[in-house]
Amino acid sequence: MNLRFYLLRRIALIVPTLIGLSILTFSIARLVPGDPVGLAAGPQATAEIKEALRREFGLDQPLPVQYINYMAGLFRGDWGQSLYTRRDVLPDLRTFWPATLELTTIAVIIATLLGVPAGVISAMYRNRLPDHIARILSLFFVSFPAFWLAMIFQTWFGRDLGMFPINKRLPVLVAPPATTTGLFLIDSLIQLDFETFLISLKHIFVPSLVLSFSAFASITRITRASMVEALEKDFVRMERAIGIPYRIIIFKYVLRNAFIATITVISLNFGWLMAGAILIETIFDWPGLGLYAVHASLSLDFQPIMGIAFLYGVVFSLINILTDMVYGMLDPRIRYG
Amino acid sequence: MSMADLLNIEDLHLEFHTYDGVAKVLAGVDLRMQRGDVLGLVGETGCGKSMTALSVPRLIPMPPGKITAGRVTFDGEDILSKSEGEMETFRASHLGMIFQDPVTNLNPLFTIREQLVDSVLYQQARGQKVPGRWKGFMPSVRQLRQEAQERAVELMRLTGIPDGDKRIFEYPHQFSGGMRQRVLIAMALAGDPDLLIADEPTTALDVTIQAQILRLIRSLVKQLGLTVLLITHNLGVVARSCERVAVMYSGRVVEESPVRELFKNPKHPYTRGLINAVPQKDVSRGGLIGIPGMIPNLIDPPAGCRFHPRCEHVMDICRRQVPAATSVGAEHRASCFLYPEDA
Repeated sequence: MNLRFYLLRRIALIVPTLIGLSILTFSIARLVPGDPVGLAAGPQATAEIKEALRREFGLDQPLPVQYINYMAGLFRGDWGQSLYTRRDVLPDLRTFWPATLELTTIAVIIATLLGVPAGVISAMYRNRLPDHIARILSLFFVSFPAFWLAMIFQTWFGRDLGMFPINKRLPVLVAPPATTTGLFLIDSLIQLDFETFLISLKHIFVPSLVLSFSAFASITRITRASMVEALEKDFVRMERAIGIPYRIIIFKYVLRNAFIATITVISLNFGWLMAGAILIETIFDWPGLGLYAVHASLSLDFQPIMGIAFLYGVVFSLINILTDMVYGMLDPRIRYG
Repeated sequence: MSMADLLNIEDLHLEFHTYDGVAKVLAGVDLRMQRGDVLGLVGETGCGKSMTALSVPRLIPMPPGKITAGRVTFDGEDILSKSEGEMETFRASHLGMIFQDPVTNLNPLFTIREQLVDSVLYQQARGQKVPGRWKGFMPSVRQLRQEAQERAVELMRLTGIPDGDKRIFEYPHQFSGGMRQRVLIAMALAGDPDLLIADEPTTALDVTIQAQILRLIRSLVKQLGLTVLLITHNLGVVARSCERVAVMYSGRVVEESPVRELFKNPKHPYTRGLINAVPQKDVSRGGLIGIPGMIPNLIDPPAGCRFHPRCEHVMDICRRQVPAATSVGAEHRASCFLYPEDA
């Protein structure tokens, strides 16, 4: 009953968060040393050309005015223009963002599907062989640099086994499915185009697997730790004493107690992976937001930078709200209000 | 005679491996129970009464625990040689157990219904497969769970929880401490256990609630003919609820007798000290009387009788030899050299 009110309040609270975020990124983008216009106009540009460019992008105005203009545009759906490509930021984000979202989501799903069972097994066989294997594996994956693993996997899966394509979202000759969400896996299912679905699944498998490793490691570790803690609880002994089978205790009664910490880590990883996708996108030639963001930051192209920061701000806030909702589903003692 | 025993613990030795050394937690516990017995097991903190109780469902964590000698038989079956899978079936079919703290012993994230229905299903299944809740789309499974839920409500009524048919949908935190303990008793009784082990069932409760829970256990004993092993440090609880009592001191049962006899005619010096230490209304006695000294260190216990450093009747032999249990009256046995075998 209070849930709707709580949700509305949480969503409303995103607004001040985003205003704070926009002030911060705006200041950083503008105050950082370097001359974006000079970079964009090129070395041969005359002072007049630069001045004209400045005027065109409103950079001749005082900073507060620039900020207010920018924010006003944001709400009108005008997220500014790239200094370089002269393309509008918002359509660019619409093009690149789904690729990153798709990659990250699949990576989080893989990490969860592998990490949670690994953590449970680790805790069940604490300090015995399965536990050691799971812990060494997670240490291994968290320690090796992602770019190295990425290249190794490209070599194995792509070249030696020839099982999976190792770059791009689809082969050049396959037309992407009609855009509804921009996520190829979902769009192709909507079109009932299972062939394209399978092809894009094959394409996304290796990059998302590599991207999932660091998340797999942290999910395994937190699941193990919270399972070990939950297994020490009095009710576990009680449930055993009255004859509930151990596997029911583990998978039904204990796992849910341990899952709150796991959910936290899964949602944090979702954010980290979106940021961490840049490297993987570069290596796998994945046309996502990561590559776009790198280019923008290297050339101080402030409008796309702001746009990306803003988008990530919204996404992070929504993930946080979603996580809090899941807490409430797991633990009946959590009340919203 | 041992054939008639429901539970027979013989010469049980239990060690715990700790960083400081090996703690000899149980040093030859002997305990017998017949069907229908209500036996109180009393002693101070750390005397091994809970460990004795946990050795029956075999819930002592091993390692660090290790049973070095002794036998535990239940209805003639050797418990210590069972596999873990056989133990699960054994616990489900023969045992019920309730613990001290009703707040931590219920799973906070599941409704009473979920926990009680599972108790009913798995205890009645006695090791057979129970179809999972997710198979609820099958009529037979739905029927099974519906019957289990009816049984659960019946158990709630039996343990004195009003409006069980409505409250069964609530979560543990919506119940008071006393009500939670009733839920736990209901869960323990779900499969008509042959033996109910109650480990300090009233210690964490308010005094008024304690009395209610004890009254409940007494009435369940009468109604269902339960066999109960009641562990407590409180002699008052024993006096009100049990027929027989065993007194433990530092890993051994030092005296065992019918309750009346024990209070009227305690034999072991430790039992006498324990009964003397119960606060009386009579002020003229001059405050609390304790037993001098401390409970012994379990890693390096005193040689001979472990009570000898605190005993006012200590003799030479007490420092060298462990006394065996001797008969000191009708169904009354004590382990003390004050009562030699031929007396």
